[in-house]
Amino acid sequence: MAIELNGKTYETDEEGYLADLSQWDEDIATYMANDDDIELTDAHWEVINFLREYYEEYQIAPAVRVLTKAIGKKLGKDKGNSKYLYQLFPYGPAKQACKFGGLPKPTGCV
Amino acid sequence: MNTNKLSDRASSAEQHILSRIDSRIASFFSSCVHCGMCAEACHFYKETGDPKYTPIYKLEPMRKIWKHHHTFWGKLFGTLGWSTLPDEQMLEDWQELVYDSCTLCSRCSLVCPVGNDIAYMVRQQREGFSAAGFAPEGLKGASERSIELGSPMGVTATTLLATIKHQEKECGIPIPVDQQGSDYLVLLSSLEIVGFPEYIGAIARIFKQADISWTISTKGFEATNSGIQIGNSEIAREIVERVVNAAESLGVKAVISPECGHAYTSIRWDAPNLLGRELPFKVIHILELLHELQSQGKLKTVGTFDTPLTYHDPCSIARKGGVIKEPRDLLNQVSSDFREMTPTGEMNWCCGGGGGVSAIDEAEELRFKAFHRKSEQVNKLGVKVLVTACANCRNTIEEGLENYEMDVEVVGLTELIAGQLESAG
Repeated sequence: MAIELNGKTYETDEEGYLADLSQWDEDIATYMANDDDIELTDAHWEVINFLREYYEEYQIAPAVRVLTKAIGKKLGKDKGNSKYLYQLFPYGPAKQACKFGGLPKPTGCV
Repeated sequence: MNTNKLSDRASSAEQHILSRIDSRIASFFSSCVHCGMCAEACHFYKETGDPKYTPIYKLEPMRKIWKHHHTFWGKLFGTLGWSTLPDEQMLEDWQELVYDSCTLCSRCSLVCPVGNDIAYMVRQQREGFSAAGFAPEGLKGASERSIELGSPMGVTATTLLATIKHQEKECGIPIPVDQQGSDYLVLLSSLEIVGFPEYIGAIARIFKQADISWTISTKGFEATNSGIQIGNSEIAREIVERVVNAAESLGVKAVISPECGHAYTSIRWDAPNLLGRELPFKVIHILELLHELQSQGKLKTVGTFDTPLTYHDPCSIARKGGVIKEPRDLLNQVSSDFREMTPTGEMNWCCGGGGGVSAIDEAEELRFKAFHRKSEQVNKLGVKVLVTACANCRNTIEEGLENYEMDVEVVGLTELIAGQLESAG
């Protein structure tokens, strides 16, 4: 599958995650979010940017509980809880934010 | 139905399950007295009241195959073409019973009055289900990642090393990696590496105080075994082989299983069987080692943790491994108000996420239902802290507590001890 945007072609997998991480830019993030009826605010970007930094360091897309805990550690308990994160990303904070951030689909905790 | 009409998948499941019916399993089926005690022992049955969750009923496909091949009437009916071997529909229907609603916790095995090891039977039945493709996507993915990337969560040596670096900074102690000739090789579970990395810092502090020579291997660090959970001995063997190879090439005297339940039974008991040889090193659970240090006076702690707390026995460690006294002796050294759940120890109720269940997305609702049992146990004690010794239990319990809106903190026992160390200040 592919998304055509501003003259650029973004390859995606069958679940809509970017196939090539290096293709990511803010336009595709906004496009994917709009597709899910979400308008990206600073609060969304804070999580997406956090995830991208996390991936850069650990080379893994974190599972939702790992993300929640890591966010709590860095940004405080007000943001490191399921309620807050699900409000921002109703289809699952890890899955949806990873998708918008151009990262692979996170696995569950196993 | 006629056996000749079985689909390829159903035939494949039949052949694989048949190959797993050893003399033990055959005698278990002949011995079952249909008393239903296993149902009363199962948290999935107790919390739903649905008779389909009776442990022995989860083995209906295997029982049919046993009957067909191993009993007089089964053989006779088979000859006449009246066989009732499980067809594809039945296998599909049973997938939920074999995987989503069984944590292989072995509580049913323990209560069975005729001594049937039902959890062992479910584990063997899973071999047939997974070989024929009747397995949950979550577990298939975890098994694939274990083989391709080295861990069910996709944790690689890069992730491990980044985590170690953070922990070194936090605890101020260098963490030995790939160090030849160390006494102990420390294994980790993926979930610990990404979810509870404080465990690594905790053992670094404890081992420094006790002057233990240890290392982590970048080639064989993953202790969890998706092959055991999905029921695929080939995958299970490959996973334990990595650890065994790493331990042998580093020349360690012992391998320490982490705060994880099934990892302990996998490397301690499954590994020699899967590899067909004795392991040239000792396998010990972290709690057993800490207990050894305690007995030798090498676990020097100050003061006590005074918040009321309880301990959740991970099934694989307590019920299967017999490590029951050790955590209690350790807790009594560092806690001034340790309260036991009822029942506890070998009869403790499972958290509901073991045996691969936590990896199955579609099992979430059922898992929360089963967790109701644990939540009631904890509620009765009025504690605000729950200690355990398994990353998977810990994760399942944290999710369960959140689901039941309970304000209880979950802590790993090793971390709790590290927090009370003399050198912790």
